[in-house]
Amino acid sequence: MESYSYINIFETKGLEYILLICFLLLFIYFVRYIFSSKKKADENMK
Amino acid sequence: MAGKNVLEIGTATPFKKGYKMDKKTIFFGEVKRFFKFILQEMKPRGKWLTPFNIISLPIMFIGFILLILRFVKGLGYATNLSQEFPWGFWIGFDVITGVAFAGGAYVITFVVYVMKVEKYHPIVKVTVLNGLLAYMFYAGALVLDLGKPWNIFNPIIGNSFGYNSVLFLVAWHFLLYMATEFLEFSPTIAQWLGWEKLQKILKSLTVGAVIFGITLSILHQSGLGALFLMAKSKIHPLWYSEFIPVFFFVSSIFAGLSMVIFEGTISHRVFKDKIDSKHHAAFDEIIFGLAKGAAITMFVYYFFKALVFIHGGQWSYLTDSWGIWYLFEVIGLVLIPCFMFAYGAKNRNLGIIRTAAILTMIGIILNRLNISIITFNWNIPAVYYPSWIEIVITLMIIFTEIWVFRWVVSRMPVFED
Amino acid sequence: MDRRNFLKVTGGIAASLAATGLQAKEKQNDEEFVGVLTDTTRCIGCRACEKACGEAHDLLVPDVENDNALDNLRTPSEKQWTVVNRYETDVGEVFVKQQCMHCWQPACTAACLTNAMLKTKEGPVIWREGKCIGCRYCMASCPFNIPKYEYGSWNPKVQKCNMCYDRLQQGKKPACVEACPTGALMFGSKRELMEIARVRIYNHPEKYVHKIYGEHEVGGTGWLYLSGVPFEQIGFRTDLGTTPYPEYTKEFLYAVPLIFFGAPALLTGLHFLTKKDESSEE
Repeated sequence: MESYSYINIFETKGLEYILLICFLLLFIYFVRYIFSSKKKADENMK
Repeated sequence: MAGKNVLEIGTATPFKKGYKMDKKTIFFGEVKRFFKFILQEMKPRGKWLTPFNIISLPIMFIGFILLILRFVKGLGYATNLSQEFPWGFWIGFDVITGVAFAGGAYVITFVVYVMKVEKYHPIVKVTVLNGLLAYMFYAGALVLDLGKPWNIFNPIIGNSFGYNSVLFLVAWHFLLYMATEFLEFSPTIAQWLGWEKLQKILKSLTVGAVIFGITLSILHQSGLGALFLMAKSKIHPLWYSEFIPVFFFVSSIFAGLSMVIFEGTISHRVFKDKIDSKHHAAFDEIIFGLAKGAAITMFVYYFFKALVFIHGGQWSYLTDSWGIWYLFEVIGLVLIPCFMFAYGAKNRNLGIIRTAAILTMIGIILNRLNISIITFNWNIPAVYYPSWIEIVITLMIIFTEIWVFRWVVSRMPVFED
Repeated sequence: MDRRNFLKVTGGIAASLAATGLQAKEKQNDEEFVGVLTDTTRCIGCRACEKACGEAHDLLVPDVENDNALDNLRTPSEKQWTVVNRYETDVGEVFVKQQCMHCWQPACTAACLTNAMLKTKEGPVIWREGKCIGCRYCMASCPFNIPKYEYGSWNPKVQKCNMCYDRLQQGKKPACVEACPTGALMFGSKRELMEIARVRIYNHPEKYVHKIYGEHEVGGTGWLYLSGVPFEQIGFRTDLGTTPYPEYTKEFLYAVPLIFFGAPALLTGLHFLTKKDESSEE
């Protein structure tokens, strides 16, 4: 507060976007993993 | 048992149709019959000396006495609260954690009444009942913590609206949500009393109540987190974030789902005789479904935590014991149970799912306590731990809730369609 | 109507218009917040303020000569709204009076769900017993840990400095300011106090750290401090930021009606979308 030097509040944005891409890729695998036995469950449901 | 009740009520119908009687007699007859029915239902059923009763009754009795003493002698007598820790176990555990676990009700009603996934219909009534009781007892525990509870009407009847307060919002939402939960559950009560017409009317209101209830839940689940937004200077930076409300909301989804899995597993053992076999078979499928839902929500939650962590540039905080504690919570009790849920759902392993549910619940308890108590005032030497009285009264509340739940379940048609 | 009269009348109207315009501004000026400037370089630790405060509010009146209270660091308590602490620093002993900071936008009033905690238009933050439900959210929110609670009572009060609100309304100064023998405490509008504080720093740049605590802290406070040593050394938190605390909940409270507009509509839409399938099945 006392200093008048430059502060960049978006410093971490690049890393955040890398995280986002990681998330999207992993999420696809994760969901596919969970629902890979979906057919069986669907049959039981009906 | 519930079937028997319906029969009893049924015998009264000809009496009602006796048109020779004047309306007054019929009315008083009905009232009399109603009270007789209630009185009869109040009577205990089944064995008295079960292990649960033997443990819970003395604790409830002691808790009740302690509760009276708390109101006579003040909070200082009963609690370890201090000037540095204005909120302790009753708020941090009973209210904040208890309400998170009650989140199952809005998730399940969303799935069943809004998305119309019929698969989960068998558990909707019992989940709503659980939610309703949880709010009555755990959100109600807020009243025990108030210094001047007789002024509680101030923010409600409007002689002193503090609109600027998050707690004002949360209190109102608790009230309204209890009313909507009651409305959602009321058809079952009407059915129990044999009031078929009323049951139909109440049932027609369910979808409206569900939609209102979900909206309220989104807001007060996140609102409980928003309570701590102004404690910025007190909560450890690893736990404080402007996104606390979002974290609280998202985590209430898997907290609720884990609770439904946990509680369902128990009640399917305890109330075996009340649940028909068709329902029993469907229940495993339901658990696999819930586990998938929990796994995905937790996965998203974990990445959300990671995003906030990276945005805050909090790497340096990881080096001390707070950092290890944080990683334990986020990886040990979110990411690992998340994978366990996924693994269990894929390989149809109920044991792993149940373990994951318990780990998740511990994680939720830790998360809520970390924010409200454990890392609260991390930067000053004072520490808080609950007094034995706080714990006994909390146990009293939990046991009373279970008693009421048991009473309702063994009398009302909760497990039937 | 002759010309003179016309001028008079129009002039009068113009004047009165101008006056009303000014009035609005002046009115704002009238309600400018008051505060107190504590110059810690002038404080001698006599604790006359503590005594005066206790007497003015029927609280604990400390036995200043004999209780050796300065040996320990204290905080205001449910029995004492203000305390003086002694700090050993690079420039020797420094005494600091502590009490409610009377924030410009207080966290406690934003937290209070009954408006029991109230930011008065004059500036003091006061607590009103009849409204309070005793939830202690004000205590959890206050960045300075000022509101204190009577845990030992069945009918507990929240205790904190109210800048002698009653005395102010009678045109008097706060009791502590009046009792201060060295002029370490000065009462006035925040604007005046800021000017005085700046002048002191400007005239004695070597005597003061070039910072007025309370100018910007948590959005600015009514109570201001001058110091000869860095504020961290005399018990102040300098990491509180300059954002007024109610700003932290502002966005959430904004979102409430937004969600209430959006969520029911979305859910109702989903409900009817999924309903179609059901009817076609039937």
